[in-house]
Amino acid sequence: MPAEKLNRIILTVDGREIEADEGTMLVDAARLGDVEIPVFCYEPKLGDPVGACRMCLVEIEGIPKLQTACSTPVRDGMVVHTQTAQVKEAQEAVVEFLLVNHPLDCPVCDKGGECPLQDISMGWGPDRNRMVDQKRHFEKPVPLSPLVAIDRERCILCYRCVRFSQEVSEDSQLQLLERGDSTYVGTFDDRPYIAPFQGNITELCPVGALTSYTYRFQARPWDIEQGGSVCTLCPSQCNVSFTVRDEQVKRVLARDNPEVDDGWLCDKGRYGFQAMYSADRVLNPVRFEDGQPVPAGWGEAVELAADGLLRAGSKTAVLVGEASNEEGYLLQRMIRRALGSSDIDSRRGPGFGAADALALADPAISARVVDIDHADLVLVVGTDPIHSAPSFDLRIRKAVRRHGTALAVATDRPTALDGGASEVERFDPGTASAWLSSIADEVAAGSGDGIAGLVNRSGHTVIVWGERIGRGDDGPAALAALARLAEAAGIAAEQESGLIGIPETANGRGLREVGCLPDAGPGFTPLDPGRDTDAIRAGLESGEIESIVLFGIDPIRDLPDTEGWRRALEAADHVVCFSMEANASTEFADVLFPLESHAEKDATVTHPEGRLQRVRPSAARPGDIRPGWMVLAELSALLGHETGIGSAPDALAAVADAVPFYEGLDDAVIGGRGVRWQDRPAATRLGDPTPDPLTPDSGNEETVTSTPPNPSTGEPGGPLSSTQPAGFDSEEGPTVGRDGSGSAPGGVVPPEDVEPEPSSTTTGALTLGTYRDLWADATTDLSPALRFLSPAQRLEISSADARRLELKTGDEVSVSSGSHFVNARVAIRTALPEGTCFLIEGTISDNANLFSNGRPAAVEIGPPRIELDLVTAGGATPDSGEAGDTSEGGE
Amino acid sequence: MSGQVHETRILLRHAEDPALATIEGYRSYGGYETFQKALKSMEPDEIVEVLEESGLRGRGGAGFSMGKKVSFLPRGDQDKYVCCNADESEPGAFKDRELMQRNPHQLIEGIAIASYAAGAGHAFIFIRGEYDRQADILDRAVEEAYEAGFLGEDILGSGYSLDLVVHRGAGAYICGEETALLDALEGKRGNPRLKPPFPAVQGLYGGPTLINNVETLSNVSHIVANGAEWFRSFGTEQSPGTKVVSISGGVRRPGNYEVELGISLRDLIFGLAGGPLDGHDVKAFYPGGSSSPVLTPAELDLPYSFEAMAEAGSMLGSGSIIVADDSVSIPHMALRTARFYHHESCGKCTPCREGTNWTVKMLERVVRGEATPMELDIITSVQQNIIGHCLCVLGDSMAMPVSAMVAKFRDEFEQVIAEAALARIPTTNGDHGGNGGNGIDGGTGTSDLNLTDLLERERLQGRPIPVSEQESPDAG
Repeated sequence: MPAEKLNRIILTVDGREIEADEGTMLVDAARLGDVEIPVFCYEPKLGDPVGACRMCLVEIEGIPKLQTACSTPVRDGMVVHTQTAQVKEAQEAVVEFLLVNHPLDCPVCDKGGECPLQDISMGWGPDRNRMVDQKRHFEKPVPLSPLVAIDRERCILCYRCVRFSQEVSEDSQLQLLERGDSTYVGTFDDRPYIAPFQGNITELCPVGALTSYTYRFQARPWDIEQGGSVCTLCPSQCNVSFTVRDEQVKRVLARDNPEVDDGWLCDKGRYGFQAMYSADRVLNPVRFEDGQPVPAGWGEAVELAADGLLRAGSKTAVLVGEASNEEGYLLQRMIRRALGSSDIDSRRGPGFGAADALALADPAISARVVDIDHADLVLVVGTDPIHSAPSFDLRIRKAVRRHGTALAVATDRPTALDGGASEVERFDPGTASAWLSSIADEVAAGSGDGIAGLVNRSGHTVIVWGERIGRGDDGPAALAALARLAEAAGIAAEQESGLIGIPETANGRGLREVGCLPDAGPGFTPLDPGRDTDAIRAGLESGEIESIVLFGIDPIRDLPDTEGWRRALEAADHVVCFSMEANASTEFADVLFPLESHAEKDATVTHPEGRLQRVRPSAARPGDIRPGWMVLAELSALLGHETGIGSAPDALAAVADAVPFYEGLDDAVIGGRGVRWQDRPAATRLGDPTPDPLTPDSGNEETVTSTPPNPSTGEPGGPLSSTQPAGFDSEEGPTVGRDGSGSAPGGVVPPEDVEPEPSSTTTGALTLGTYRDLWADATTDLSPALRFLSPAQRLEISSADARRLELKTGDEVSVSSGSHFVNARVAIRTALPEGTCFLIEGTISDNANLFSNGRPAAVEIGPPRIELDLVTAGGATPDSGEAGDTSEGGE
Repeated sequence: MSGQVHETRILLRHAEDPALATIEGYRSYGGYETFQKALKSMEPDEIVEVLEESGLRGRGGAGFSMGKKVSFLPRGDQDKYVCCNADESEPGAFKDRELMQRNPHQLIEGIAIASYAAGAGHAFIFIRGEYDRQADILDRAVEEAYEAGFLGEDILGSGYSLDLVVHRGAGAYICGEETALLDALEGKRGNPRLKPPFPAVQGLYGGPTLINNVETLSNVSHIVANGAEWFRSFGTEQSPGTKVVSISGGVRRPGNYEVELGISLRDLIFGLAGGPLDGHDVKAFYPGGSSSPVLTPAELDLPYSFEAMAEAGSMLGSGSIIVADDSVSIPHMALRTARFYHHESCGKCTPCREGTNWTVKMLERVVRGEATPMELDIITSVQQNIIGHCLCVLGDSMAMPVSAMVAKFRDEFEQVIAEAALARIPTTNGDHGGNGGNGIDGGTGTSDLNLTDLLERERLQGRPIPVSEQESPDAG
């Protein structure tokens, strides 16, 4: 009963009457009355109190012994004393004990100045030292991991890091070893602590025992400033605080926002700041002379870009990857109003259309992140949050561990959450729609079994779905089935039930909402579809598109069909790149503009739950970098469309004006914690058309007119979603219903791919799925601290297939489809169903995106095939009687 | 006098018969009849009532009413557990070992009845790993009990099912602490948990759990068989029943003796255990295991009961008496005691982890002669800082006896400091006297300085000797 939960009671602490919720821990209740009770081990984020440090002992009338305030729930009428002689004695005793073994090396300790042990010693400790014996000694500092150093002498054994590892990230790698005063924090067999959230322990540590290698001896607390912002390295959009010294980010801390991130950060968010100062960062505009980069002035570069774009006119396309709402808005406005093209996309692979996105944006079926906490059931569909949005992984674990939430996982690839799930189901890559629609049917039929049964038995249900399932030919059907499932589960009727879609880019949701879709303008205003990502590639190759703007995206790495993109960019007449770093795609640029990082940008982004958040400038822009909105406004003006935007607030105002359900949003409304647009009155305007004209300024500004017919698809404007070119292939490789119709839009199939390799048809063909690894990106590559995590290609394969092909984990193989192949190391995953295997997208070399082109092998036999050719000496051979085709040396 | 003291054997009855360890032997003395009777004709609540009325107090150390503990378990359908604490690790305690070795079925029957009363379907015996032989005996006995149908599914057609598992510990004293025992049983590091929630509410695997000592559970069948009144006819008002007392140290006949509670300490130490060896006197003794504050011969005539020991500022604890005769150096005994607890501290809470470590270091300096009498005040103060501030009682278990020893034998501490220091002082030749550094037995060395001279010399050297040290709070 909620009423019981909110029972307000009055207690007395040091003579002050304090009103608090019954059951609040005394430490927290006392704080409400401005009474501070010191703590070391207490940290509610870590779960139940452990009462280990004994710092919070207080006197409670009626109880003879002192009690730990961290673990005592308050009751009405409780009378507490925190200042009596008895309490004082206990507090001094505990501080004295803590200092028995703590080295007093504060002057050279990174924690000095921001150290709870220092503060509490000062505030509650004794003023003299009676301890003359030797303190304990350890070798120090030693690496706990490549990212974190541990100084065991400083450790006061508060248990926080160990509890984090065991009860929050649940990697269980950190342990307390030995016992008594010999206890120390470590890992089994001294193995490095490798886990994606380990950096959090440096923030949890109340002393200088755990420090990040990236911040050791970098600054003292008195010469740094903190700047609050939002991390835009993934869709989790965790709130962060940048520690800035001399205008440079030196450290990233969590900025606790329980509604978004629970105060945790993944290591990419924490250590990825190093990429901002990488030597590969683009610091000024660059033009290219005979392929050689030449630094350019801003005026010169913008003019150069504008010239090329004007030359191409409406034969210009835009691809948006990582961008803010304002940047995305300005990009679509520029291409639509200055150039008269609607060939703009922000999705990595086309599939579902704007109408689907609009339907799923319905506030009635949208869940908040915090709804996960107390949901009866969390259903994860088609995504592994540890890779796609890490903080969701922790959030879901918390719900399961602390609140008994049931977890169901339905994905193509085994996820990190499987272990805690009550039900796990697998579907073949690219067949989410079949699975979803059968579940939707079962739920509608009131089934009691499996995941459908869980859904039927659960009240509050939150469905966390990966927008990847919307990619490809299967996409529209998958989203339709998802909507049916939501309806069958009665999600709209339940206040705390809903869906959260995890986009493939950090601001994927925001970019769609501000109009970065070929078939919709701001606010999902429908438009005759322009070209989507695949069609843009095809258009470039065929010459129907002459010019392209790449904003925060490296298609050669990020998008399917690496070869196709290479050809497309090669063929392009004019390529304008906006990028933070030089990459494979910028090699094709005619003009390259630098982008701001999330520590430098002043902009907004939209969280997957619909929360508008502010990215705020905390550090100086290095080199000669200008704000994205400024460059786009200038470029737009040169192209003939004057935006009238002269500042970041102007840009936000323009977005708020253009997106009906963003109406009235400004910096103040968004504030430090963000605001969900669904929670504002303007939410009712979802579905209203944008007041923005969406055609060239010279054209008819009152009605939405068709963009030029799309020659590559040959399809006139029709029903919105179903006419999406059904071309994305197949790295999601459907295994059913494939009839060869799914070739790339425009039918551009590279001739060399058409013919399947003759010998490969029967040698262990498996269905290939791919996924984007958390660490497979430029941020990881450009951050020295993280580089060790950058994944080399690996082939995940089921144990049955591995047995059949006589492979073992670690074997080197080549994986091929048609004439393409990548090299990979085998990783056997028992949770993989037989017949399916997985590769990573976006690796530096052997990128699995290579396969996702015209799907040559699929044309013939359905699912994309791979063949495994052993290249290791002494390797095994397939058992299908073709032993001869795998020679020891490989091919 | 010593000749007239007799044991009152209930738990150790027939203990001399080796056949008692087998189920046939046990049944030949009427074993398992009570359990059968209970299953047939008693409601669980009736049993709880009898146990409560009997006033049986926990024999593991805390002395909490066993019946009350059972009654704290919630009724209802959830999974409940009974754990028998057989992790007998306290220095001086060896009674459970004998009870399990000689009469394992008495324990199993007690567990079965208690589990039935508590509504538990799973029971565990957590036995310390070093009790290998006893664990083997228990394993065999449990097997026999299963075969005879006293354990397992639908016991004797009653519809009640119970599984009993013997689990061997891995050698940590702390796992005798009930919540650490639970963590260890669950496969975790054996660290005490924060209480509340108490195990009766949320114990093993989160379910309500009854945890009792071997001796406590061994009493159950006798109480249920003979009634609360019968049980109360033994012992004292507040400490009914008999107690198996382990007596060790400087006595002629160390061993386990089952006596009615309330018997005098003199009867126990002199009567049953035969008193100190020839030519020696009792100097001090732990009345209830190494964690109880030591008593002195002046307290020998106190009755041995929970209440009398508490009144004397000590405790009956597990009922293990360790006698120190006059050949024992109390400071060394204090160090030995502190070292044990330092070694066994789990390290979870600050006062115990750091306090035991610091105390050992100070006591080491005391016996090495590197301390000053002021250090004794710090030792006392540190013990006070530990007591009542820890997560579990392990810290207190060191602090209480150590502070009692310092309080009651302060003179001896000062003397040991002085003598050991004297031994370290260079003689006129510049040699180091005596056995220097680690002078455990405190050879007096070759210095010709006497104690008074030494204290004076310390004072002149500027080493602080607090005033209190001179009028030492002599308790002995």
